[in-house]
Amino acid sequence: MPENTNPVLRIREFVFQKFPLAKRRKITDHDDLLKSGVIDSLGVLELVTLMQQEFSVTVGDEDLTPENFQTIERMAQFVARSLALQSGSGK
Amino acid sequence: MDFLIHHMLRNSAACHPEKGAVVHGSRRLRYREVADGCASIARGLRSAGVQRGDRVGIYLDPSVEQVLSIFSVSQAGGVYVPINTVLVPDQVAHIARDCGMKALITTPEKLATMRSALGDVSSLQFFVLTGSPQMQAGWKTVYGFEEMLKLPVPRPWADWGISKDLAAILYTSGSTGKPKGVMLSHANVMAGSTIVSTYLEISERERILAVLPFSFDAGMNQLMTAFHQGATIVLIKFVFAKEIIDALLSERITALAGVPTVWSLLANGGILKHKFPDLRYITNTGGAMPQAVLKVLREALPTTKIFLMYGLTEAFRSTYLPPEELDRRPTSMGKAIPDNEILVLNERGERCKPGEVGELVHRGSTVSMGYWGNPEATDQVLKPNPLLPPALGDCEKVCYSGDLVKMDDDGFLYYVGRRDTMIKSSGYRISPTEVEEVLFQTGKIRQAAVIGIPDEILGQTIKAFIVAKDGAPLDCDGIQNFCVEKMPRHMVPKQFEVLTELPKTSSGKVDYPALRRREGL
Repeated sequence: MPENTNPVLRIREFVFQKFPLAKRRKITDHDDLLKSGVIDSLGVLELVTLMQQEFSVTVGDEDLTPENFQTIERMAQFVARSLALQSGSGK
Repeated sequence: MDFLIHHMLRNSAACHPEKGAVVHGSRRLRYREVADGCASIARGLRSAGVQRGDRVGIYLDPSVEQVLSIFSVSQAGGVYVPINTVLVPDQVAHIARDCGMKALITTPEKLATMRSALGDVSSLQFFVLTGSPQMQAGWKTVYGFEEMLKLPVPRPWADWGISKDLAAILYTSGSTGKPKGVMLSHANVMAGSTIVSTYLEISERERILAVLPFSFDAGMNQLMTAFHQGATIVLIKFVFAKEIIDALLSERITALAGVPTVWSLLANGGILKHKFPDLRYITNTGGAMPQAVLKVLREALPTTKIFLMYGLTEAFRSTYLPPEELDRRPTSMGKAIPDNEILVLNERGERCKPGEVGELVHRGSTVSMGYWGNPEATDQVLKPNPLLPPALGDCEKVCYSGDLVKMDDDGFLYYVGRRDTMIKSSGYRISPTEVEEVLFQTGKIRQAAVIGIPDEILGQTIKAFIVAKDGAPLDCDGIQNFCVEKMPRHMVPKQFEVLTELPKTSSGKVDYPALRRREGL
């Protein structure tokens, strides 16, 4: 993965591309995507695939929670945290 | 005697007024409160102008208000039309226009998104909005749901209707055209509820978790069986398996009905990590249960009965496999539900022998009244019973499902495929022409044809074959994005293939079987 790829940018792009309600409601990085119905359960699985394929993040079923997927910002934070843990840097 | 849907609620409220009826998050209502609430809303609907047989749409997420709305409309003498909240405004407008909807119960936020789409639905006279709505002067009359709940109710209540009358219209897709409204009478719904309660042995001790939408016949039946038996229904809107698992545990759920995507989500989402001693039974409908998922479920739920079922909206509920047969026949749909019969017929209308593939034809108390406002489409599906002695005349209509099945020597049924081009994905029926029409709306496509490709989890996914309008290269990603804007996600093609020409039959129509053969199907 390129050093300077920011997960937030890619996740934001993907959400706007795949989930029409995101564009219609002009959601921000902090808006709730789940309660509002912008993303459903199958949509979450597509985001998981994105994370696994483009960021090489391992997503376990204990990671599939509103805390990690509720907003674009939280998803980016989850990716960053997972990568830090996986690389063993612990920072 | 109980002969209208809301009589089931009335009866349960009389027998167990203080028993928990509905749970949604932290909201808990007892039967007495639900019955009183429905009576007040029913009075409000009649005062607002609902006449006998008027269609009232319900476009609400799982909620106490959604449950109250369904039974209130029934009590008011109207016909409820539950609308799935994943549908986009144009689809809601189609339903409203098609059934001549008089009123719609929804939220202010949802109404705002549908304002322009519903603008030219001339039959719509008023809205009932939940929450504290702002009055929207000038467009249509708006009533507040909360205000209606405060209305005192005249006793005794004068019912309008008999069991033969229409209770609900559930919209579902066919193999062509736009969704059609399947008409269910009070008798249909009550028969379905009684029959399902019988073979699932549902009692008032049941705590049912409703994860399927009430716009789907199997989802609606969770509510009907609960209120019929005086059980408790727990409502949930979920995204993650964890949310379902938490509800199963915290609410000590005894019963869960799902479609294959729900079971896949749970099987891959940690169901093996917990024990569910209270879960008495689970059911599957809306598509075949993937065998790998079934294996995980049996391991995770060793003391839970598993019922594999099949049904079609046009015949409400159709077959079930007794759990004790699961070991011997894990891929079977089972046999006819009580008081109903399944005929497997060949092209000549004769019964098929065991092992011979024929069309599943459903006969009995759950056969619907047909499609609203569409006698031609109804006549394609509801036809006279070809096996009746001629002396009985045409007194009975049976339902031709369009599903091809075969029976084994013991009379158990197995799904083979569709007779026509209809696609089934994530439990939804999808008409290819609906998807193709949206593809044409891009303005870049001269010909389009979509087919279903088998998918382990979703049942089928959609593949679109497209031909460019002027020979220019087609941007499939752009076309897919266009679809994502216009349709719910289960209708968006997953794969595209650009062709220079679509294969045609001798009569010039698209040759769908040829396209399927291309894919090895």
